[in-house]
Amino acid sequence: MNFIKNKTVGSILYIILSFILSVCLVACGICSLIRFSVFTPGFLLDCLNGSAYYTDLCDEITDDLLNIGDASGLDKSFFENFVDEVLVREDIQKYVEDFYAGNKMTVDTTNFEESLDEALAKYQSENNITDAPKESLDYFVKEAAKIYAQNIKITYFNSIQKKMLEYKTKFTLYSIASGILALAIAAFIFFTSEWKHKAFRYFYYSICGAGLFTLLIPAAVFASGILGKIAILSRSLNDMYTAVFNSLFVEMAICAAAMFIVSLILLIVHGKLRKKVTED
Amino acid sequence: MKKSNNNKLGIIFTPIIFCLVMCLALTAVVLPKYDKLSSLLGMFISDTQIDYSSAYENIFVPTKNSGDTVNAEDVDFPGLNKQFGKLSIEGADVDAKLFYGDGTVPLRNGVGIYGGSFIPGYGKTILVAGHNNTYFNGLKNVKKGDIIKIRTSYGNYEYKITDTAIHDSKNTSAYDLEADYENLILYTCYPFDGLGLTNLRFFVYAEKVKGPEIVGLYE
Repeated sequence: MNFIKNKTVGSILYIILSFILSVCLVACGICSLIRFSVFTPGFLLDCLNGSAYYTDLCDEITDDLLNIGDASGLDKSFFENFVDEVLVREDIQKYVEDFYAGNKMTVDTTNFEESLDEALAKYQSENNITDAPKESLDYFVKEAAKIYAQNIKITYFNSIQKKMLEYKTKFTLYSIASGILALAIAAFIFFTSEWKHKAFRYFYYSICGAGLFTLLIPAAVFASGILGKIAILSRSLNDMYTAVFNSLFVEMAICAAAMFIVSLILLIVHGKLRKKVTED
Repeated sequence: MKKSNNNKLGIIFTPIIFCLVMCLALTAVVLPKYDKLSSLLGMFISDTQIDYSSAYENIFVPTKNSGDTVNAEDVDFPGLNKQFGKLSIEGADVDAKLFYGDGTVPLRNGVGIYGGSFIPGYGKTILVAGHNNTYFNGLKNVKKGDIIKIRTSYGNYEYKITDTAIHDSKNTSAYDLEADYENLILYTCYPFDGLGLTNLRFFVYAEKVKGPEIVGLYE
């Protein structure tokens, strides 16, 4: 380690190591953030709860049911307030949990069909309809249940489930690997530095640089207004993707802010140690 | 003094340089895949904010053109879910807005041409869907020889009803989308006015009587 004692060579080496440490911190920060947000069901369900997703989804289901109602002799008022948001929430929650657990994603429409059967019976009795063929009513209920299930199923989820589980493992490994590498570099810098205040300065460079880069991504996304231009024809899906990306980038900005705070603390520690060394 | 200034500059600029180098590295990684990423993004990002209002666009402006031809360049080809004409059958109580596409928006507001078929004037099959309890309820009154009128911004068309039939919804022989002559097929759910749904569909077949042919389509 004699070469480190050469002031210029040592400085260059430590700067390079600080830069690698910075890259590792960015990788560790972003991978961990994605691993504990996008890859966890709680994050997605929170995003859905915090957006207009359920309200818009209920409206979309109602619209589709009104369409089939027009083909089935039902008055438009039949589907007013028919779609139960509580039931939709429960079914979506189960669908999301199955998605993350790697289970087969199915929608159980039993409750929906029961409600529709009851509503149809009430409608017939209120309108004195006695000649509706049972097969036609059953077929209508079956088709309406298909529409309901189709709306509950989140587009693309079926096709990305396998990849999602693969990437969940990969992101966990990337986070751990970059974290370990960062710790090793930090330990090397700390223990090989002749003056500990200099080690803190290099840590400051790394963490502040990582914070800047981490902040740059959400800043670019929010400044471009790209999240408002997601081109998905379903309003509820748009709500979902916008809420997910919004939360992800806000968390990224918070992560960057945390890095800035830590770097500031390190800078203060560096200043104090340096002062102490100068005084000694 | 000079060392102290250098330290201060290092504190300000070193993290910025780190960040810039990481940006450059990221650009170097992304640049070779830029086209792929750009087209992928283009699939999910539009130039403007999507309008989710259920209101539809109407490009129908009545015309008097019932001549033999109309130039393709004079035709405002309709986009999905746009109203571009009107369809009526005198004496059968059918008078509806005509849309391109047969999804929720067209069928809630009128009748719609199936996207896999053609618009009037193309010289091919026009397959129009409508609901049996709303805009196509009047189809129950049609008879052979009745005239179906379609008005669009580029021409007015008339089709004479040649036949009606009831088919299963999965029976693809009920229509020929490959036909190389202009024919109009209207269809709706069957039976009319009943409560419930069946897999039967009521078809109305008609042949073109008059209306301009769109010319210069493939030039």
